Amino acid sequence: MKRTISALALLAGLAPGLASADSTVKFWYHFDNPENPMGDLVAKFEAENPGIKIDAMNVPWNSYYDNLYTSIVGGNAPDAAMLKMFALPRLLEMEALEPLDDRIAAWQGKDDILPNLFDLTRAEDGNQYFLPVQYVALYLYYRADMFQELGLNPPQTCDELRDAAIKLTRDTNGDGKIDTYGFGFRGGKSGHEHWGSFTLGRTGVALDASLTSDAGVAGTQFVIDLFQTDKVFPPSAPNDGFQEIIGAFKTGVTAMTIHHVGSSNDLVEVLGDKVAATTVPECGGGRWTTFGDESTAVLSNASDKEAAWKWISFLSTAENNALFNTATGQLPVTQSDTAAWQGHEPRFVEATQASLPFAHLLPASSNTPEFVNTVWPANMQRALLGQITAQQMNEAIAKLFTDD
Amino acid sequence: MTTTSVPEQEGPTSGRRAALWRQVMPLALLSPAVLVTLAIVFFPMIQTAWMSLHNYVLFRPKNFDWVGLQNYFNIFQDEVFWISLRHTVLWIVITVPAQALLGLATALLLNQSFPWRPLARALIIIPWALPSVVIALMWAWIYDSNYGILNDLLLRIGILETSIPWLANPDTALYAIILTLTWQGFPFFAVMILAGLQSIPQSYYEAASLDGATPWRQFWHITLPGISGVLFTAILLRTIWVANSMDVIFVMTGGGPGYSTYTLPLYSFLEARTNLNFGYGSALAMTFTLMLLGIVILYLKRSAKAVQ
Repeated sequence: MKRTISALALLAGLAPGLASADSTVKFWYHFDNPENPMGDLVAKFEAENPGIKIDAMNVPWNSYYDNLYTSIVGGNAPDAAMLKMFALPRLLEMEALEPLDDRIAAWQGKDDILPNLFDLTRAEDGNQYFLPVQYVALYLYYRADMFQELGLNPPQTCDELRDAAIKLTRDTNGDGKIDTYGFGFRGGKSGHEHWGSFTLGRTGVALDASLTSDAGVAGTQFVIDLFQTDKVFPPSAPNDGFQEIIGAFKTGVTAMTIHHVGSSNDLVEVLGDKVAATTVPECGGGRWTTFGDESTAVLSNASDKEAAWKWISFLSTAENNALFNTATGQLPVTQSDTAAWQGHEPRFVEATQASLPFAHLLPASSNTPEFVNTVWPANMQRALLGQITAQQMNEAIAKLFTDD
Repeated sequence: MTTTSVPEQEGPTSGRRAALWRQVMPLALLSPAVLVTLAIVFFPMIQTAWMSLHNYVLFRPKNFDWVGLQNYFNIFQDEVFWISLRHTVLWIVITVPAQALLGLATALLLNQSFPWRPLARALIIIPWALPSVVIALMWAWIYDSNYGILNDLLLRIGILETSIPWLANPDTALYAIILTLTWQGFPFFAVMILAGLQSIPQSYYEAASLDGATPWRQFWHITLPGISGVLFTAILLRTIWVANSMDVIFVMTGGGPGYSTYTLPLYSFLEARTNLNFGYGSALAMTFTLMLLGIVILYLKRSAKAVQ
């Protein structure tokens, strides 16, 4: 009997250790880069944290949030995930996130995070649910060789961009057909970033009722005119997504486009010094570009929240964060990695830094994902094709944000 | 070697038991399939009908407010619904006959004797066997206005002067996807019709030839009646599948440009899955289900008749 009790006591003593050894953190992320170093990061973490296993799953970007929301409602959500700020209001309404304030306060790595990133990623309720893991700001890519050939300077205003785009749209091989277009516009999903640079920088314009003002409508009209009147976008622009705009820029089908540092290495590999970068132009009195945030978070359903926190804080710690960003092609959030960063050509990092003063996040609204996924693409495409006016498009978007 | 002993008839009790067993056994054998169908088909259908009567947005899971038929009233005032309905009708009435005609022509060809016929019969199934996503991506590149082979070909032979953005032009996008789906679906008709053709006795044609019937009259009076049963079933079945098919559209254009390639299943999917508005999305799905019900009933009646 005594022996049985001793055995039970021994098992009871081992139980917490056994539970810890079984701890598995299910982590969702999205990497476009096929050279995915997540395996290396997981191996390093598991070596440093015996007893915690990481089940990292690369979920395709196009359906990332659709899958995430339905998995939360279906009770099959990951323990931790990569998330963007626009998703925060919806996730809070679903009570899907774990506050991280106490854990961040006790975390040694917090002082190494770049200034302002915690402020930018704080929720409206004052809590911190997100831990920044990478960032970018969008800027203008242009073909330096084509600009030089035509004696053009990088555009600093919308008018200069229009003028340059018209001159750059041309038949270069004399077969009577246009083979280079001035600007590669993204009319498909996420193209609001291009439209925003031409519209939301205008004085007094934001993603609210002010969109229907003269200044707001002028921004959308500017985009429509570039397509319909000036014909400086490729004809496929209404449907073009990331692959199309970067592919067209690489092959010389377009001379300018807007994207972030994430595509710079790929472009340099093909174009070398022919690709250059500058900030998005000033339009109607101001500049606006997208602050591309990406954070990690612990979900409230996580079975072992401490293990999930250990994993996400590991990803935002110096060296690990650099490895993470080498794969995503974006910029590290730690000061130490930033100081030693050699992941991109300096001219693109400089363009990013120069864009930060006017880089903005989308509104913290539950309707923002609907704006990004359906309302903006459908209305922009209809406006480009002449099915609705600029005024009607802006009214549809303003309605979404004012009906909240 | 083992032997199975058959219990001897021991009177009216065992006779009743055997009769009962004969009645129960088919039901017992069928029950797993019925239970699975109930769980994965009928339960979600009832759930969809129930959700369509509520205001249910997935990111507000606690709010499940009864709105009665309000979602249905909203549908009839929704411009996108009418656009999608028009596209759905075009989608069905062009795709299914096109697939059927192409399938018929292919089946007639494959029914002839020629070298390598078994190989040709095997190869023809490839479009049907490929996953929809692969087909959609492949055709999206074929249609690409900058690098697509279709534009390149038409420019080289002088039919086009400039590239056409087939999928970005609202006048061509839907028809371009219809062509893709026609290519994907015609092997189904070809295989079905080929099976029908092989069941027509050769002696009919020999007798018709002796009577001086032309090939066209043979086709009209022997072939077509011979395959009419299989053709009708295939058309009904394919109409239901094509009507519900949205994966190819979703991958090729996502419904764009604008609403140019929205069909009702796609609209319902986007409302529910992307905008997370499950109440309205369910109402759209239920409306479309009711519209399809006529064809479904026709198919079920035909199936029941075939079983009898």
